[in-house]
Amino acid sequence: MNDTTPSTSFWWGQYNLSSNQNKKWCIGPLALIVRCLNGEWQVGYERQENTEVCESSWSTSDTDQPPESLEEYARYIFRETTGLLTITPQLADRAVVTRPLSPFSLIAGEEATIYISSPIWLSLSVGQSNKKLDEIGIQRPSDTWFGPSPREGELCYASSTHCRLSLDELPLRTHRAITPLVIQNQADSTLLVERINLPAPMLPLFSSDDGQLWTPKVTLTREKDGDMAALIIDTLPPEEATGATQLNKPRKSTSGSVLIRAFNAVFS
Amino acid sequence: MNELWTEIVNFISGEKMWSIIRATILVFIGFALAKLVSSSINKLLVKKTDTHRMMIIKRGSYYLIVILFLISALHELGFNLGVLLGAAGIFTVAIGFASQTSASNLISGLFLMGERPFTVGDIIRVGTTTGEVLSVDLLSVKLRTFDNLFVRIPNESLIKSEVTTLTRFPIRRIDVLVGVAYKEDLKQIREVLDEVADKNPLCLEEPKPLYIFRGFGESSLDIQYSVWAKRENFLDLKNSIYEEIKNAFDSRGIEIPFPHRTIYTGSVTAPFPIKKVDNNSTDTD
Repeated sequence: MNDTTPSTSFWWGQYNLSSNQNKKWCIGPLALIVRCLNGEWQVGYERQENTEVCESSWSTSDTDQPPESLEEYARYIFRETTGLLTITPQLADRAVVTRPLSPFSLIAGEEATIYISSPIWLSLSVGQSNKKLDEIGIQRPSDTWFGPSPREGELCYASSTHCRLSLDELPLRTHRAITPLVIQNQADSTLLVERINLPAPMLPLFSSDDGQLWTPKVTLTREKDGDMAALIIDTLPPEEATGATQLNKPRKSTSGSVLIRAFNAVFS
Repeated sequence: MNELWTEIVNFISGEKMWSIIRATILVFIGFALAKLVSSSINKLLVKKTDTHRMMIIKRGSYYLIVILFLISALHELGFNLGVLLGAAGIFTVAIGFASQTSASNLISGLFLMGERPFTVGDIIRVGTTTGEVLSVDLLSVKLRTFDNLFVRIPNESLIKSEVTTLTRFPIRRIDVLVGVAYKEDLKQIREVLDEVADKNPLCLEEPKPLYIFRGFGESSLDIQYSVWAKRENFLDLKNSIYEEIKNAFDSRGIEIPFPHRTIYTGSVTAPFPIKKVDNNSTDTD
């Protein structure tokens, strides 16, 4: 009964569930089981502790295991249900803080391109009118604070992977999105890059034809001394993503150039 | 007899009589006007303020108008108002002394409103009372404690003493105090604690958890491990981190010791003499 080979290389898209069918997805560390009954949708999910499991592959199958057997379980009642389930990937709802393997310095006038991997959320919606049920994080990233002091700043997610200077070093995973980030230091002083704040809610989401999720290229220009930088987000998908299609719009829309606190924010 | 009658007639037709009549008319007008004004104020404000304040305003306006007309009536009759004002002055000073604390509370309230150390909705701690601020009034601040009790704190005591606003900053630190047995390896303990903090998603990655060695305690090595959390997650993290530390220690066999006492016999630690008693040989009578 276990059909584990996916029909497409993407875990997102539309699925048709027949009544009383339990469908299970294993995406990264997340196990998700959905059942459609007459007038009711049942969703169960849990994350495995060991994140080495289901690294770059994903699978979907029919199962006898009911959704309520998993740790988190919810029921949604509708007037009528059609069995149509749409799964969409979403970027994080907060900024993501990422660190290089070891801090590096950017001299005045220099530029660096790094690749950041950020976590993805699953958005479940049902029916032709795409009524949203819930958003489930494939991983639960750790909370972190990004700001100059414990008094001011913002609550962000801490990325579980380091950012890399070369795309080859970044392990490609279907449940994480890759962002090419260009840092330009146009100030007079050297910038020591220890941590970078990526404003994920402002980015749209694309997928390349090999099933990898991407965001457009982001440029952070440090014009003056300090931690602030001008943020410019490309509208087109990055060149590294071949045959890209847009999956989602940004959660927060921004117009033009925005000034954000992007670097370090060191405090003891 | 005639002289008395003449005097009375003279008096009635004199100036003095008119002033008495005028004064009496003023008093009657005063009472009537006061009644009219107070009842019209009552009708106007009956829905806008509560009954307590309503009564104060009604009585206040009534007596104010009556007193004004009485004063002008007395003035008509020719009394020297200076003496009356002097008496009123002394009266005011006496009232002032009596209402010292109320005046102090009022002024403190105004300063508090200007300073804004907390607003309605914040959670504050005054002395031993912790609660949510319901209102900041002229004379006092009203709190609701977590066990749903209503507490009134005079503004004066808030200005004079220390007030802690728990909801001012967005993140908060939890100080976990743990003691480990003397035989344990401190380096390993630190690694275990860091691992526990890392795994817990509510524990903020930055500011980094703080490890402080507090000292060589009586029965254990005392360690303080401070972790940060979003203010709203404070209680959740506090409960989960203690449980996770305990589980991590248990799974690695790290001992959290009970208080120890070492007993020595005299100056040389010779073994204690022990006699084994067989259960069957116990006397039954």
